[in-house]
Amino acid sequence: MLPTLQIGPLSLQTPGLAVILAIWLGLNLAERHAAKHGLSGETLYNLFFSLLIGGLIGGRLIYVLRFPQAFLQSPASLISLNPGLFDLAGGLLTALLTGLAYARQKALHLWKTLDALTPFLATLAVGIALAHLAGGTAFGKPADLPWAIELWGARRHPTQLYELLGSLLTLGLLWPRKAESTPGVYFLRFAALTSGLRLFLEAFRGDSALILGGLRLAQIAAWLILAAALSLLAWREKQT
Amino acid sequence: MQLQKRRIFYAVILLLGLVWIALSAETGQTAPTTQAAAPQKGFRAPDFSLPGLKDEAAISLSSLRGQVVLVNFWASWCPPCRAEMPAMQRVYTTYKDQGLVILAVNSTIQDSQSEALRFAEENRLTFPILLDAEGLATRLYAIRSLPTTFFVGRDGIIREVVIGGPMSEALLRTRVETLLQENP
Repeated sequence: MLPTLQIGPLSLQTPGLAVILAIWLGLNLAERHAAKHGLSGETLYNLFFSLLIGGLIGGRLIYVLRFPQAFLQSPASLISLNPGLFDLAGGLLTALLTGLAYARQKALHLWKTLDALTPFLATLAVGIALAHLAGGTAFGKPADLPWAIELWGARRHPTQLYELLGSLLTLGLLWPRKAESTPGVYFLRFAALTSGLRLFLEAFRGDSALILGGLRLAQIAAWLILAAALSLLAWREKQT
Repeated sequence: MQLQKRRIFYAVILLLGLVWIALSAETGQTAPTTQAAAPQKGFRAPDFSLPGLKDEAAISLSSLRGQVVLVNFWASWCPPCRAEMPAMQRVYTTYKDQGLVILAVNSTIQDSQSEALRFAEENRLTFPILLDAEGLATRLYAIRSLPTTFFVGRDGIIREVVIGGPMSEALLRTRVETLLQENP
């Protein structure tokens, strides 16, 4: 757990650094294998930047719409670099919309494009796990185990390490080889593995959002994604 | 046939998933994190009691239960700390009557009281500025970089930790407004 790294006067935030590094490595990996999915590296980068810019601008705008009064009182905050002034769900939605707009304009094939993005997404998942490890966030519930770690005043499940191992395993299993014969199968396997992993590991978390009867909200969301991924997988596999 | 087998496998996975969700439901027997104190979101804010900048009586965090508290660790030599103070002052002026308290903990162990005082007077800061001369609170909150700010709800639970700065005025306003709206 090392949330900041001090290099002289410079204080680097390690969680953000891990994610940025993963984005860079993931894009490189995806670019090298994009041709297998019928995409040029350039198209992949353009798609990524349209997702990024759409997400950043959209996420900020939606946040501003949620709290207009605060921004009327300090308009300079509109262009503040604070990542906290950002609506995550809104940003994801606008990123998706700009990505779709770009894909439509370039007449990209949906499944092939998702396959081409998969190495990037799998690398990003490793970066997110590293960010959790660096910041001590996404922590585990108290546990009396030989491999428990001391964190936030208790011995806990090292959920950040579980997540790191799981995401590395997923990346290893999905390491780009030759393209699957049916477009979409590669991406759907990633979606199924990642949601399945979350469904399993969420049980050891100490910070889960709970709903009625103590059910963990993230597990229910992960199950729904897993069900969708497996159904689509069964359907795509029939196409071979 | 191969396809059929695979579908059965998928169905079994989904079924096992449902069983796992039911098994891992939090039944409330394990102690919630909110009872423990730690400098992290979701935990009770660790208590401290520190004297004021002008030798006023000590203020303890636990005595402010029921109010929204912003605990800001700073030093006078740290540019982002200096940059966010005017915004903090404006937000404090707006919301103090609704129950906002700002505790600007000067990490005096790595600063000097006279420099802190000069900065506070130059900027006409009216919220309490506390002196952490021995670094007790700085260590208790595991401060590694300045500024670091903890947003504490009326129930004494940390809702957000912002490492680094400067925080923009809108960030302060939106977080404080949301916390003030919560029921005590």
